[in-house]
Amino acid sequence: MQRDLRLTAVGRRYGIRGPWVLRGVDLTLTPATLTRVEGANGTGKSTLLRLLARLDAPTEGRVTGRPRTAYVPERFPSALPFTALGYLTHLGTLHGLSRRSAQRAAGTWLERFGAGAYAGTPMAQLSKGSSQKVAVAQALLGEPELLVLDEAWTGLDAAARAELERAVAERTAAGGAVVFVDHDPRRLVGAPDATYTVLGGGLKCCTDQGSSPDGPLTLVLVRGPAGGQLPPDAARTVATVRETTPGDYRLAVPASHSDVVLRALLTAHPPWHVVSVTPPPPDSGSRP
Amino acid sequence: MTALLRYQADLLLRSQRWLPPVILYVAFLGIGVQSGQPVLDSLGYTAVGVLPVAAWLVRICVTGEPDAARACVAAARGPARAHLACLLTALLAAVALGVLATLVVTLISDPASNGHQVHVPRLRAGAAGLPATLTCALLGAAVGALTNRPLLHATGRAVPAMLLGALLAAVLTGSPAQAAVNGLVTGSQTGRAPLPLLPLAGAVLLTAAAFAVAARLTDRRTL
Repeated sequence: MQRDLRLTAVGRRYGIRGPWVLRGVDLTLTPATLTRVEGANGTGKSTLLRLLARLDAPTEGRVTGRPRTAYVPERFPSALPFTALGYLTHLGTLHGLSRRSAQRAAGTWLERFGAGAYAGTPMAQLSKGSSQKVAVAQALLGEPELLVLDEAWTGLDAAARAELERAVAERTAAGGAVVFVDHDPRRLVGAPDATYTVLGGGLKCCTDQGSSPDGPLTLVLVRGPAGGQLPPDAARTVATVRETTPGDYRLAVPASHSDVVLRALLTAHPPWHVVSVTPPPPDSGSRP
Repeated sequence: MTALLRYQADLLLRSQRWLPPVILYVAFLGIGVQSGQPVLDSLGYTAVGVLPVAAWLVRICVTGEPDAARACVAAARGPARAHLACLLTALLAAVALGVLATLVVTLISDPASNGHQVHVPRLRAGAAGLPATLTCALLGAAVGALTNRPLLHATGRAVPAMLLGALLAAVLTGSPAQAAVNGLVTGSQTGRAPLPLLPLAGAVLLTAAAFAVAARLTDRRTL
């Protein structure tokens, strides 16, 4: 079973004689990577994401690989005759969970996004932001191999936005591929393994930004083996490492990924000791 | 597939959009079927009424889900399978309704041919009516599958096409539904209840083909 998703010379247009929205797109999404797609309005970002989620077949070219996929649309309708928990339980079973574990996962994710109180609320009575939380939860509760986020942050409150960033970090750390579109240039800044720009119907690969993060950084002081290497899972996401004294390290980590790095350090063999964690100053954490 | 069917069935039941076709069908039976009428005639009437109801139920299932919610389901299970689940849910609902109606009509009708000349055993009549009802439900679902998304999107085109398709499927010579219903009506005159297995087989094939086409096209056309 091939878990890479690969687009080869893919083109897509709507209607038989419609203009090409995308053409000649080559793109590979590998497990455990975070991919950002940028572009102005109407350039075909959503079309690209729909192709990646395999919702639409390409008009030309080939899409291969079929990872277990979850998709978060930009606007999620609440015109569904279920309660939030009922809907999420259904979606959990669609993602392959048993009914019981789907229900449990649904409750957990609603709680994480601060919507636990709405579990029993009919979807039709949810606010726009709360239904977006349900949309995000339905994608995450199945622990998909490919997570496609089409401006999933839009409409979420600040706490839920940060939680979604952490959830994305967890997903990639657990070996899932995540691809996202967002209009906020500071979204998950420093974290993507690759950034692509949709331009004139084609796809342009930008340099990966991993080397120059300018997003909010969490400072982590840890103690480990002198001259030792960081565990690979942690080393991948850490922005800068400095060994202050032998065995003492000062790590700067993108704020969204601090939990993932701490988990990697604490579960390493032998485990590292976490001395202190300093969150980024509050002004850099508040985003539009 | 079970999870998909369960989701779609729950969606259909809770949306309550199944009420209008079911009420219309009950009204249709109330007008056309009365207790004490020849059983095969009434069964033919019962069967043919299921056809537009099945098409309508397909439309309800296929259009009932908001686009974004449909996308979430399609990402999880694949668009073709998600669409197939919609169609199957509607078909199963139509079959359940048709079978129930057939049972009731068999029990309340007069077990005899037209003019009460020849005795027609109820069991034999029911065995003839059931395949006819299934044939009509299948054909109606096929019409619904071919006249709604992904083949026809605009309501202004889909609904007239669906009504016309249902009418043609019911009356056109050579249509399995017409053959099955016709068998019951002529059987009611002679007192011999035919088993419309050939029309049923034809309807199964046609419906399978229609469902396959609709499911295959789901990811080709949007908007």
